[in-house]
Amino acid sequence: MEDPQANGDHNHNHIPKKLKLSSPSSFISDSEIRQEFAHHQLGIARINNGSFGSCPASIIAAQKQWQLRFLQQPDDFFFNHLQNGILRSRTLITSLINADHVDEVSIVDNATTAAAIVLQHVGWAFAEGRFQKGDAVVMLHCAFQAVKKSIEAYVTRAGGSVIVVQLPFPVHSDQEIIAEFRKGLAMGKAHGRKVRLAIIDHITSMPCVVIPVRELVQICREEGVEQVFVDAAHAIGSVHVDVKEIGADFYVSNLHKWFFCPPSVAFLYCRKSPIALDLHHPVVSHEYGNGLAIESAWIGTRDYSSQLVVPDVLDFVNRFEGGIAGIRKRNHDAVVRMGELLARAWGTHLGSPPEMCPSMAMVGLPSSLRISSDDDALKLRTHLRDHFEVEVPIYYQALKDGEIGGDNWDGRVAGYARISHQVYNTVDDYLKLRDAINQLVKDGVTCNNLP
Amino acid sequence: MASDDHHIPNGSTTTPPDIQFEFAHHDPAIARINNGSFGSCPSSVISAQQDWQLKWLQQPDDFYFNTLKPSILKARLIIRDLINADHVEEISIVDNATTAAAIVLQHVTWSFLSSQFQPGDAAIILHYAYGAIKKSLQAYVARAGGQIIEVKLPFPVNSDEEIIQEFGKALELGRMNGRKIRLALIDHITSMPSVVIPVKELVKMCREEDVDQIFVDGAHAIGCVDIDVKDIGADYYTSNLHKWFFCPPAVAFLHCKKSDILNQLHHPVVSHEYGNGLAIESSWIGTRDYSAQLVVPEVMDFVNRFDGGIDGIKKRNHEKVVEMAIMLAKAWGTHLGVPPQMCSSMAMVGLPACLGIFSHSDGLKLRAYLRDCFKVEVPIYYREPEKGEHTPITGYARISHQVYNTVEDYYKFRDAVNKLFNDGVTCAFLSD
Repeated sequence: MEDPQANGDHNHNHIPKKLKLSSPSSFISDSEIRQEFAHHQLGIARINNGSFGSCPASIIAAQKQWQLRFLQQPDDFFFNHLQNGILRSRTLITSLINADHVDEVSIVDNATTAAAIVLQHVGWAFAEGRFQKGDAVVMLHCAFQAVKKSIEAYVTRAGGSVIVVQLPFPVHSDQEIIAEFRKGLAMGKAHGRKVRLAIIDHITSMPCVVIPVRELVQICREEGVEQVFVDAAHAIGSVHVDVKEIGADFYVSNLHKWFFCPPSVAFLYCRKSPIALDLHHPVVSHEYGNGLAIESAWIGTRDYSSQLVVPDVLDFVNRFEGGIAGIRKRNHDAVVRMGELLARAWGTHLGSPPEMCPSMAMVGLPSSLRISSDDDALKLRTHLRDHFEVEVPIYYQALKDGEIGGDNWDGRVAGYARISHQVYNTVDDYLKLRDAINQLVKDGVTCNNLP
Repeated sequence: MASDDHHIPNGSTTTPPDIQFEFAHHDPAIARINNGSFGSCPSSVISAQQDWQLKWLQQPDDFYFNTLKPSILKARLIIRDLINADHVEEISIVDNATTAAAIVLQHVTWSFLSSQFQPGDAAIILHYAYGAIKKSLQAYVARAGGQIIEVKLPFPVNSDEEIIQEFGKALELGRMNGRKIRLALIDHITSMPSVVIPVKELVKMCREEDVDQIFVDGAHAIGCVDIDVKDIGADYYTSNLHKWFFCPPAVAFLHCKKSDILNQLHHPVVSHEYGNGLAIESSWIGTRDYSAQLVVPEVMDFVNRFDGGIDGIKKRNHEKVVEMAIMLAKAWGTHLGVPPQMCSSMAMVGLPACLGIFSHSDGLKLRAYLRDCFKVEVPIYYREPEKGEHTPITGYARISHQVYNTVEDYYKFRDAVNKLFNDGVTCAFLSD
């Protein structure tokens, strides 16, 4: 259970601080929340916080202050303020995630960049003979597409092989995932292949499931996997993050998804080790060789302002009852409630039990929609946006081996909506989705005959 | 996107910008004569950028699916025309020249690792190449087995011929012992000291000497000197639009001449678009703020409100900076480090020898002192003296001129140095 954030050092340019976690009368009110997100497009049921996150008005204002300071006198900013600001953010993140030392925490643009950093390092290991051709990297079948491409670009290209572990979906318990992962890893290691790196999601993107990372990391260690990289893009602000407890070598999460930062800012935690010293940011600049965190703090002239508002974001979340832990709990409870409401309304089910949902839930869509491909899912998503003003990503669940498909659509749930809940959502957002889908079903619409 | 808001009713479509208004956010107390380092951005462009940022925040999914890519394409088309490239596929938009270098040099790495290049094959760079680029060469070329050859250039310099001569010697050195020169990395305008390099001639020499590939680092060039990529003839050319082209941080283009190799270039931050061509890869490298890349149309509107557009701006900046440099050199009894025709919108002005600038860190100390005590922002270059030089000029100020500068900025600098001179202050006395 993380403790509420102490109010550390931060810049003096933000709005007056409110009292934190003292009396209920000082908590942020519903109308204040509406104001903070008043820039969200009116009329849209925005139930996709998971893809691109969200940022409250007071943080945007704080960010603009930092941007202005750069524009006012960029040299002074560069020489006297930037590095301190980044260090302040890193320090706050270090305690947020229970890392041992601020040196272990680098700030980068996003999880995609973090993947490039870790995988480029793997590429060099192959090139410089530390790894042998054919040595393997493990990934989940549902790893984020960008990460898969990065594996192709840096591992496969350098001579590494890839073990793909299939996880079940729909899923019913952590045990299913643990069993499948153990099986998949063992199979992949057949023929004595050395496994150099495992990439494990903390929360998979599509379909969205909370993975029992601590147990999977342990299995990796037991099976002789050299290093483990947890892609936790969605995690911070969404589930509890304790990097020591999870025990991975590398752990990345985006602060602009569920932690109210503007785009874009992520942290990459690298457990102290000799290997961590050889990680480099791929955009090489003056600080090359001074450690990843220092390298990442200057990669040429850019707008670093989104990395500097972390102190302001902590102020913001501490205006809520229970701080970020309270926000997480209420988001989770609400999204499960809404997920169950939708499943009941459509006669479907959730893709995972509540305890495996973070602030997102996979809700089965009626089979009559006949979602039969990724393209269909995208078409449906577009249709919901354009004709019903609902923004929600749709997942196509391919048939498992041995499942009989063809024209038998009775009760077959082949599509899921990934609904999110963030502090700005209201019940009406989900009712809008419910009614939209009910309308499509009533009209006999299938993905085939979508306009 | 948004067009000019200042149409006057009688049919004329542009009014000259109100410079005071456009740069009102600049700290008024500072004589800001360092546009070269971090550039500058007018209010109307900042405002346009904020519109783009708001659009994203309002409905990011819609923006991602429907708006982002066509808007980046629009910016690329404008850049293609600005630099006289043939095809828009040749234009990728990246954060900055540092990123462009990583792209080109990472490709060199793969060429070494796949044995297309042999250990010991060389890359040639100017000694005055930007520090970050040199580090990138360490990280990607030296580490993969390549040899780095630096071309020492004279400074002060008097003519293009001096540069051409030194470069020729380095090419010879590079090819000694049957070595192959795989890459020449040439600055269009060096950073410190700042000199306009005769790139067209150097590129020609490289072609004659069978250098595989030529990468021109034109970080300062766009908005500062003319760029015609076909005329220059390099394989790769990069320039930052946030230095002299009024864009907010950060946006740069990387031009890659159409060739088989173009398909092999990749953005190091690999995302969904991997394999779809560098320009497409670069247009999505994960969730980020792409707004700086989207205001290029608004910047065109801005520059076209000036007499002569960007060409007029370049010409006047150049004339003014030379005029101010000569004024300062006269006031201090020093000289320009570079003749006017080799100055861009920046000039190197010798500082009085008695200031005692004896190291790079002395230069930094003096720069900080000028900032803190005299409110003058100007980078100082330390030049190591040659043997036998008598009371040499070892320090040069790199002064910039951009549309917001006034003659008062340079008088302030002149007077600051004169005061230091009169008070007998030397760098030895300045605190770290």
